[in-house]
Amino acid sequence: MARLALLIWSLGPMVWQLYTSLRPTEALTGGLGGGLGGPGGWTFAHYQQLLHGNPPFQIYLLNSALVGASSTALTLALAVPCAYALSRLGRNASRSLSLLVAAAAAFPAVLLFLALLELARNWHLANNLLALSLPYAGLCLPLAILLLQASFRDIPMELEEAAVMEGMGLWQRLRWVLLPLMTPAMASAALLIFIFCWNEYPIALTWLSRSDLLTLAPAMARIAGSSVYTIPYGAFAAATVLGSAPLILLMLLFQRQIISGLTQGAIKG
Amino acid sequence: MRWKLWLLMAPALLWLLAIFAAPMLHYAWLSTQAETVLTGLQPRPVGAEQWLRLWNDARFWQDTWQTLRFSAVSVLLEMVLGLAMALLLHQPLRGRGALRTISLLPWALPTTVMALGWRWIFNDPYGPINQLLQGLGLSGVPFLSDPAITWLAAVWADTWKTTPFVALLLLAGLQNIPADLYEAAALEGAGAWQSLRRITLPLLTPYLLIALLFRLAQALGVFDLIQVLTGGGPAGSTESLALYAYLNAMRFLDFGYSATVMLGSFAVLLVVAALAGLAFQWSRTTQAEELR
Repeated sequence: MARLALLIWSLGPMVWQLYTSLRPTEALTGGLGGGLGGPGGWTFAHYQQLLHGNPPFQIYLLNSALVGASSTALTLALAVPCAYALSRLGRNASRSLSLLVAAAAAFPAVLLFLALLELARNWHLANNLLALSLPYAGLCLPLAILLLQASFRDIPMELEEAAVMEGMGLWQRLRWVLLPLMTPAMASAALLIFIFCWNEYPIALTWLSRSDLLTLAPAMARIAGSSVYTIPYGAFAAATVLGSAPLILLMLLFQRQIISGLTQGAIKG
Repeated sequence: MRWKLWLLMAPALLWLLAIFAAPMLHYAWLSTQAETVLTGLQPRPVGAEQWLRLWNDARFWQDTWQTLRFSAVSVLLEMVLGLAMALLLHQPLRGRGALRTISLLPWALPTTVMALGWRWIFNDPYGPINQLLQGLGLSGVPFLSDPAITWLAAVWADTWKTTPFVALLLLAGLQNIPADLYEAAALEGAGAWQSLRRITLPLLTPYLLIALLFRLAQALGVFDLIQVLTGGGPAGSTESLALYAYLNAMRFLDFGYSATVMLGSFAVLLVVAALAGLAFQWSRTTQAEELR
């Protein structure tokens, strides 16, 4: 019973969007008579309209994927060495630094948008998808550092000491001993970072203005603001479905890593 | 050896300073400058003028109240429902893994995407909720056009999206509680309610605190959902502090005051986080005394 309620609560709104996206506009407003289940059949018109729009909808998904991928790479490149050092630092320094990082993780990013916008203006970074990785990496670093630090701590010190005895330097130890053991944690962190970047809104909204460079989140807001029809919900719903599909796929494919990443973050954070 | 560790940390720490600390310092400076269309978008020092303006700005205080109201209700709901969801997902039932993934889906979706979806779900009269009410012979609810109701619609949408996140954090805590504690309690005749109160809740405290503080901070900065779902309306009844700061900069082109509002919002956040932490501490000590 409770499980069924949870299923309906979680999936209901999404199923409704899927249903709406496949129904002709007149059917949605009862123009054909008979309300929800009424006649009118099914249609792909809303999807066609989106995919042949100007710009076509899929470009937003590509932009988001590009920003997500480059931000994830940059974040991990910065976070891995930092997390390693943090986990090997003395107890006190490590604790107080981790606390600061945790506070940054909870900080609402929207409060930063104005200063970051000025940064974009002064350094001519606006409307540059790759440059968006610079603030995104900053926003994702706290979470990545906390997650990776916890995993570095789980690696027994003896292993590293043995590598020192073998005469391996710091760099070699990281590359050949520690990183292979870190792969699961890095995968979890990468997925969470990617999801965050895919969904980020306020910074993308203020950094990007050219419509063919928008990422998904600001594109959705722009679609919401511009309605050609009085009841444009068929097209809206189709956009919702297309915008959600990649992430739902990602969740289904990598559920274990994502869930373990989130729970690890809770336990060690 | 030690300096090498600091060297490894330096890039990330500097990056964090640049993205989190530098903006705050910049706002502190910008809040003492007028930078509007009237000044040709060039900064001109005005001292504490904008801080006085903030103090006397009825819209700022109204938005503070609305943001606090939204945060308090939605975070409370998320904690209670999140705990229930976590307990359910912790049960050794068939299909547990699939259920966990499905219930986490709402959290993964972009807020702007689902905010647009909710606009249609709450639609009056064509949305499914109102269709259902009308089918039952009841009158529809103007979810998005009645100032007394719309903020609750925003709470609803936020709760839908973030409860799974809270549930997952608490689930991590549940998994860390040794099962033999429950077995021992059952042997001594404790019922389900008693073991929840005496074992689960006390041992879950650190997780509840993390989830509470994290969610409070995020809810107090609510922006994406409000901007797409209601745009702050009707009649400004759902406008949040972050949206007000955004409008000041991007619509009124009043950058100096936007920075002031930003810092004002941050101050509200700090006060609330401190109060929540204290209240939590207090409830913990009274709880401990009660159990003794």
